[in-house]
Amino acid sequence: MIENDRIYVDYIVLQKQKYKKLIKFNKHNLCVNIGRDTINLSGIEGCFFSSVFKLYSSSGKKNREYQLELTDEVVNLKDEIDIRSSGIDNRNIIDDGMSQKLTTAEIEDLKVDSNKASDIVESLIVNSNTFHNKTEYAQEKYLRKKEKKYFEYIQILRPNLRIIAEVMYKLDPIKIQGIRLDTLSQIMTLANIHSEGNHLLYDSGSNGLLAAALLSAIGQNTNGKLVHIHPGNMSQKQALLAMNFQSEHYNRCVSVNVYSALRQYYQGNDTNAKSHHVQNPLKRRAEEKIDSKAKVAKTNNEDDNINITSETLQTNDTNTNMEPKKPKWFFDNVASSLILKDKMDSLVIACREDPKNIFMELVEFVKPGRPFVIYYCVVEPLQQLYSTLKSQSNIAALKLTCNWMRHYQVLPERTHPEVMMNGASGFLLSGYVIS
Amino acid sequence: MSFGNYKDKIDEGDTVILYLSNTLYAIEVQREIKNKKGDMVEYVFQTQFGALKVKNLIGVKYGSRVELSKGWGHVLQPTPELWSLTLPHRTQIIYTPDISMILLQLDLVPGSIVIEAGTGSGSLTHALIRRIKPHGHVYTFDFHEFRANTAKEEFESHGISKFVTAQHRDVLADGFGEDLIAKADAVFLDLPSPWLGVPHAITCTKDQGGRFCSFSPCIEQVQKTCLALQEHGFQDITTMEILQTELKVTKRTVPVRDLSFLKHKSSESPVEEKPSSETSYVASTWPANVAGHTGYLTAATLPPLFRRSKAKLQKQHDTSSEERRDSSDDGKMVIDESKC
Ligand SMILES: C[S@@+](CC[C@H](N)C(=O)[O-])C[C@H]1O[C@@H](n2cnc3c(N)ncnc32)[C@H](O)[C@@H]1O
Repeated sequence: MIENDRIYVDYIVLQKQKYKKLIKFNKHNLCVNIGRDTINLSGIEGCFFSSVFKLYSSSGKKNREYQLELTDEVVNLKDEIDIRSSGIDNRNIIDDGMSQKLTTAEIEDLKVDSNKASDIVESLIVNSNTFHNKTEYAQEKYLRKKEKKYFEYIQILRPNLRIIAEVMYKLDPIKIQGIRLDTLSQIMTLANIHSEGNHLLYDSGSNGLLAAALLSAIGQNTNGKLVHIHPGNMSQKQALLAMNFQSEHYNRCVSVNVYSALRQYYQGNDTNAKSHHVQNPLKRRAEEKIDSKAKVAKTNNEDDNINITSETLQTNDTNTNMEPKKPKWFFDNVASSLILKDKMDSLVIACREDPKNIFMELVEFVKPGRPFVIYYCVVEPLQQLYSTLKSQSNIAALKLTCNWMRHYQVLPERTHPEVMMNGASGFLLSGYVIS
Repeated sequence: MSFGNYKDKIDEGDTVILYLSNTLYAIEVQREIKNKKGDMVEYVFQTQFGALKVKNLIGVKYGSRVELSKGWGHVLQPTPELWSLTLPHRTQIIYTPDISMILLQLDLVPGSIVIEAGTGSGSLTHALIRRIKPHGHVYTFDFHEFRANTAKEEFESHGISKFVTAQHRDVLADGFGEDLIAKADAVFLDLPSPWLGVPHAITCTKDQGGRFCSFSPCIEQVQKTCLALQEHGFQDITTMEILQTELKVTKRTVPVRDLSFLKHKSSESPVEEKPSSETSYVASTWPANVAGHTGYLTAATLPPLFRRSKAKLQKQHDTSSEERRDSSDDGKMVIDESKC
């Protein structure tokens, strides 16, 4: 195994059963909260990804704080607990809330005293009036439920696009404009994002998910470039950072403010922004820091500091010793302007504003014959734009699509679609630019 | 040769996509082709808007307009998406909505090594190649000799053969070959009995672990595959279904019928009993006939070797107790037990 497979990176994913959480690995604060539990991550550094750790309680009653211990064991409750009998059907089961003889307080004590989930569950079963009358299937389901409640293992995974997109969608779809996994995957293919070419992204907020997606498909040690345009003061980077891209890779994404970038492109040096920032360069730097802190803290519940901005700033400073005071955003604007002059091979827009003007301005940078994709969470703005573009002659193969996705429970004799599905996929308007 | 890097102009030998108001054609740009008698004649491509002299395409810029005898169209450089819509079908193929999810589920990035069986018409293969190039490689297999060979020729003429190895092989009977042992980041199966391919997939997956995905039209296949994946210690087994609908955008003008005047006696009589005005909308309609099913995608993670041996032990343990746990239930089920 290579070093790359060990936990030394910034971001990790913690998985407890089906629950996954994206975590910035912070050596100074190793505690993370999972539900009502606090897990201390000391000891995971340097372990291989996919390692499994057993949770053990480190403190006394009530305070649910856990330490981790590397293990190569994962036991199913079902294998540990001996079920002696089960019913044929549930005709005799009355759910009167009286079937459990243990009181809530007794169960709490049990949790503190026992060191195995199976001990707790076994006690619950022994003290249950109905368990042995339940059908085998119901018993299995009961154990599964209890396992979820008292599961004692976690696994540390390496973040990748699939996991990050899934975690962010589950956490709060609004923050990523409701871009579901299937829609995200299609944005990448319909725009023909790959290792070569200049790719243009306008994103008015997806916590960096779209930039992460495109940059991951552009790949490590390739020639592809990404110009990531956003309307805000600061680009949102959480997902981008969570991918743990190496700097060579990460630096091929240039994140720029849309006003500054276009002003720089059309009017040369961004004079407006320059004077503004020369006046209070410190203010802007300070804002950036606070901003990134706040953003990560919100999603991670942790005190974090993103230091990529300051690091790249330094490297930029050293290669331009003429005017060492110029901040990173200045060089980013110049860099984006150079790439835009080269013309772009794809255009992806995921905006909260009306897409028409944004598309009309940005499509000018796209080479003839190249694809574009516009995402919007409701259909109306795209319908309008569809009608507009249909009446123009510079777009081919225009398509407005929506997606549907559902998951299945697959079990012998019990296969069916999941009871809940997420119905909101948003809409995609895609096509090719022609001359 | 037009599936490799981006190009500005059409060269002889390129495959180009001709776009005519909502119809797409793939054309291989050659000056001449064989006619039915076996003689070489000038290549003239017939469309709904008349004839296109193919040799005139040489040197034309991609994205530009070309004249036909009874109209005009545009030429595009093929992408895997355009190719999936225009390729010659030798088998059933997988289309872009499923392909996109497959690429994502397999965690593919430039540099990944991926195994695919069967090659079929190469619809998915083109998209796999595009995602893993320039450092990665696709190993694709089909036990149908003609399909394997045709695919191979196609990859060569498309200029992408250095990223792909197409082989004629029965992968369920013979596996993916000695050369690929512990080499792959991901394995994808689109064949009738994918569960039989699971052990071979394990043999070829890297020690660091990797992803597995299979596409099956029938739920019975999915059940067997999931069972096999579970028995062999795969994690995070999920099955999903994806559909894409293309909406038809139309402008609708509809009559407005006013009824409120009936409440009062009208001064001017008689009142005309018909719609009084019109209003219009831009509307999207769902087509009456759409794909209702393509296939189920099952995806799973093979853990790294150091976790895998354990999984196997557990498997023996599991089978001895003759019952297996569900791994696809995320605990969110809230249905009445009696209904399942
Ligand atoms: C539905 S097609 C695959 C289509 C392909 N995914 C595409 O998008 O073009 C299935 C292919 O699997 C091949 N096949 C079936 N069983 C096989 C086996 N045991 N080994 C290799 N190929 C096999 C068939 O010959 C067929 O071409």
